[in-house]
Amino acid sequence: MAEMTRGVAPKTYASRAWWALSVACLVAVIGILFAIFAFVLARGVPALRPELFFTPTHGIAGGLSNAIVGTFYLVAIGLFMVIVVGLGTAIWTVEFAPPTGQKVIRFMVDVLAGIPSIVVGYFLYVALVETAGWGFSLIAGSLALAIFMLPYVVRAADVALTNVPTALKEGAFALGARPAMVISSINFPYALPGILTGVLVATGIGLGETAPLIYTAGWSNYLPQLALTHSPVGYLTYVVWTYISQPFEESHQLAYAAAALLMIFVFLTNLLARSFVEYKLGGNRQRN
Amino acid sequence: MRKTLALVLAALLLVFVGGRALAATDLLETGSTLLYPLMNLWVAAYQQAHGDVQITTQGTGSGTGISQAISGVAQIGASDAYMADAQMKNTPMLNIPLAISAQQINYNVPGLNNVHLNLSGPVLAAIYSGQIQYWDDAKIKDINKQYGSKLPHQQIVPIHRADGSGDTFIFTQYLSKSTPSWAGGPGYGTTISWPSVGTAVGATGNPGMVQTCQNTVGSIAYIGVSFLNQTDKAGLGYAALENQAGKFVLPTATTIAAAARALDAKTPGDERISLIFAPGEDSYPIINYEYAIVNPKQGDAAKAAELKKFLDWSLESSGGQSEKFLGAVHFLPLPASIVAKSKAQIEKIQ
Amino acid sequence: MAAINLSVRDAAAKKAASPPILQRVSAQAIARVVTGVAALISFGIIFLMLFFLVAYAYPAIRFNGLGFFISPIWNIGNQYGSGTVTRAGFSAEAGASFGALVFIFGSVVTAVITMIFAVPLSLMVALSLVYRVPRQIRPLANALVELMAGVPSVVYGLWGLVVLVPWIGGALAPWVTAHLGFIPFLGGASGSGNGLAASVFILALMVIPIMVATTRDVILAQSTSLFEASMALGSTSWQAMTWAVVPSVRKGVVASVLLAFGRALGETIAVLMVCGAAINSFPQNFFSPVNTIAAVIVSQLESALTDASGMAQRSLAELACVLFIITLLVNVIARGIMRGADRREGAKA
Repeated sequence: MAEMTRGVAPKTYASRAWWALSVACLVAVIGILFAIFAFVLARGVPALRPELFFTPTHGIAGGLSNAIVGTFYLVAIGLFMVIVVGLGTAIWTVEFAPPTGQKVIRFMVDVLAGIPSIVVGYFLYVALVETAGWGFSLIAGSLALAIFMLPYVVRAADVALTNVPTALKEGAFALGARPAMVISSINFPYALPGILTGVLVATGIGLGETAPLIYTAGWSNYLPQLALTHSPVGYLTYVVWTYISQPFEESHQLAYAAAALLMIFVFLTNLLARSFVEYKLGGNRQRN
Repeated sequence: MRKTLALVLAALLLVFVGGRALAATDLLETGSTLLYPLMNLWVAAYQQAHGDVQITTQGTGSGTGISQAISGVAQIGASDAYMADAQMKNTPMLNIPLAISAQQINYNVPGLNNVHLNLSGPVLAAIYSGQIQYWDDAKIKDINKQYGSKLPHQQIVPIHRADGSGDTFIFTQYLSKSTPSWAGGPGYGTTISWPSVGTAVGATGNPGMVQTCQNTVGSIAYIGVSFLNQTDKAGLGYAALENQAGKFVLPTATTIAAAARALDAKTPGDERISLIFAPGEDSYPIINYEYAIVNPKQGDAAKAAELKKFLDWSLESSGGQSEKFLGAVHFLPLPASIVAKSKAQIEKIQ
Repeated sequence: MAAINLSVRDAAAKKAASPPILQRVSAQAIARVVTGVAALISFGIIFLMLFFLVAYAYPAIRFNGLGFFISPIWNIGNQYGSGTVTRAGFSAEAGASFGALVFIFGSVVTAVITMIFAVPLSLMVALSLVYRVPRQIRPLANALVELMAGVPSVVYGLWGLVVLVPWIGGALAPWVTAHLGFIPFLGGASGSGNGLAASVFILALMVIPIMVATTRDVILAQSTSLFEASMALGSTSWQAMTWAVVPSVRKGVVASVLLAFGRALGETIAVLMVCGAAINSFPQNFFSPVNTIAAVIVSQLESALTDASGMAQRSLAELACVLFIITLLVNVIARGIMRGADRREGAKA
């Protein structure tokens, strides 16, 4: 489309000025983004010494092993819950739901994506940590993340499953396959790249959440104890949030290191997600 | 496919259930950022000798310490403030003093950060209610005759704690005891309804106070004495405060000890007492006991035992009360009579 | 030989033609029920949360009444005094009065000013991404913008705290208040850097990528015939854009603006780190400390938990309900508009 704006229309100064402004805005926005990336990575990457990955935090400094493992557990358990519920929801929506049901579910899932993080965190704090008496726990933290990750997986699975060509499905039915078999051997493999993209996007979201975890996972200076309740868990975003306000240089180093790690993880998941998108069969996405 | 799924699920269950049984005893200490630096020193030393217990420390503010100790999420709620009667009625807890600490008033005034301005309770109350807005106000000049001309016409930015804070508690108690209009107005507490001042900023935790004070020219903040080294390094000045006898004193070991001596005999059995605005010529007006808020009914025998061991260690003169820990944070050890009372309270933990 | 083959084939055909009914029905039924339960969970989460929060906040709703929305004073009462105050059958510590006006005002003002800056900026960025960026760089530029959307909010907060706040407090605010102080809302105290300006800046950085991605998608999905027709009638390319193409996709743009507005309202941690945690006072100028509902819940939660009467905690739950309902409404309206907009299948939702 860029070509269309050259040569055909009269080149008034106003038009040129506006376009120049738009490019300037683009440059400014990307420039600030680069500034933030550069800032975090420049301070964080040098602080990523190997010992960091094997020592836990203690007091005002230390390493990040408990935070990394904690983040991993929280996201992994959250993803497990999300994949089970999310895939189930998507399958129901695509295969079994009446048209109103489809509209309702899609609508509700979209709305779920917009809930403020603190509302979810506070709700789970009151419901699970206090009322149910589970204390700061792995399960409460994972549930908090699961609620945030759910819409992304459901949406991606929904779109992916909807896009399976009906010709393939009908062919399978014509050959005598039963519905369950059709789902497992035709729909899934075809929709898998899309579903995985959704899972990766959800992972990126889960990695970056702070507010809901403060009141559900709590914090621990030790590696997660593989107990579902009454076991506070550490996570990387907490390190960034609290250690940057300590008046000690070692704490700041740790905060930058955690931030750099977070950015790297998010980059990777983003990259993976995009490569899946490119890989999709048929290229049925409006990508350039 | 189904079999492998079932196996994986079974393995996960086993790991979780089994993992719980094999976990080492872990204790959570959370709360006062004033006590936090000392807790870190203590825990680091204690764990070298006792490896079977894992103590996590957190600096989250006295309000959090109290509330999480009450709810049972934390075993030790560190707090600069003792619990209120209303709170004690709901859930009777043990308020166990572990050390004597103090608080200084830091400020960031260009040209005057290397000297000690005189400040009094009424002046501070006026600053925090917005009645005094500039550093060269007449009331400030009144008590700082020697710096009168050096006080700049700089707007004062009063910094208060945004989180539930024991520092807020002891600071506002000082204001209440020295200024009747403040006592009748905002009063004191770990959280108060601060008067509406346009420039007032809320910071989180003592570290946040240090940072915001450092970044804001003309600011004034109340910061715990365990952060005195940091505020010195940050180039912030601290004030000499007016005590009950009308003298302006700095927070030194002598002045803090004088204040403690004046009031420790009055400490009741449950050890909830305010040490603010102590009588005496040399007494520093803002000192307090650092409390460990502990639930006497722990529920978990193993945790209770480890908890008692740690608390007892922190009260020993060769353990937590030794100068190498307390000196680093400018705290004072507890007098023997208070140690005895604290130990009596620790005995009640089960 | 042929006879044996025939009989085997017949038997196989018979088996294939009619699989046992029980097997066929139960697999389908199980799948239907299991996935139906999953869908029910997805559907029910919002209602569960809303119901629980409202039920939990009910004592506060009765106690605070309408004053909650009108009063700017948030006072959890005198914990160390004796005596309680009772209203509508629920009691709290003496002196307690929960007024959330400052926080509601802060949330709305922050979000609105953010959108005032972010919407034109996003539109410009989206237009330049579609029409000005050379084809070779386009994937890279798109990737970068989308990467921005994935950066954890705490990292934005970190940058804000360490770079932005000192810059605003030390350089921008003093300059603006000194030289542009005659403009209302820009004069007065230059503050500490923590405040409205920093919050708006950070929030804008966070919502721009969301809006750019959606706006770019809807513009791309738009057919080029509108653009060509406009140019054929003699407009410049810029006029064609703003007068023909953009208005035709305004539904999608409006929806994405509303979504971003909802995001700005609900953002917690980044705002918490730079807002200045104002209590009981409204921002006097663009650089004053401010507080939003989301940030105040985090900063006041532990204080609220020390309230022996529990009313503070319930009032915070009431605050969470208010935020929940506001963002729900904004999201519902946005999604409603978006569903109505014409989008090509497969484009990002």
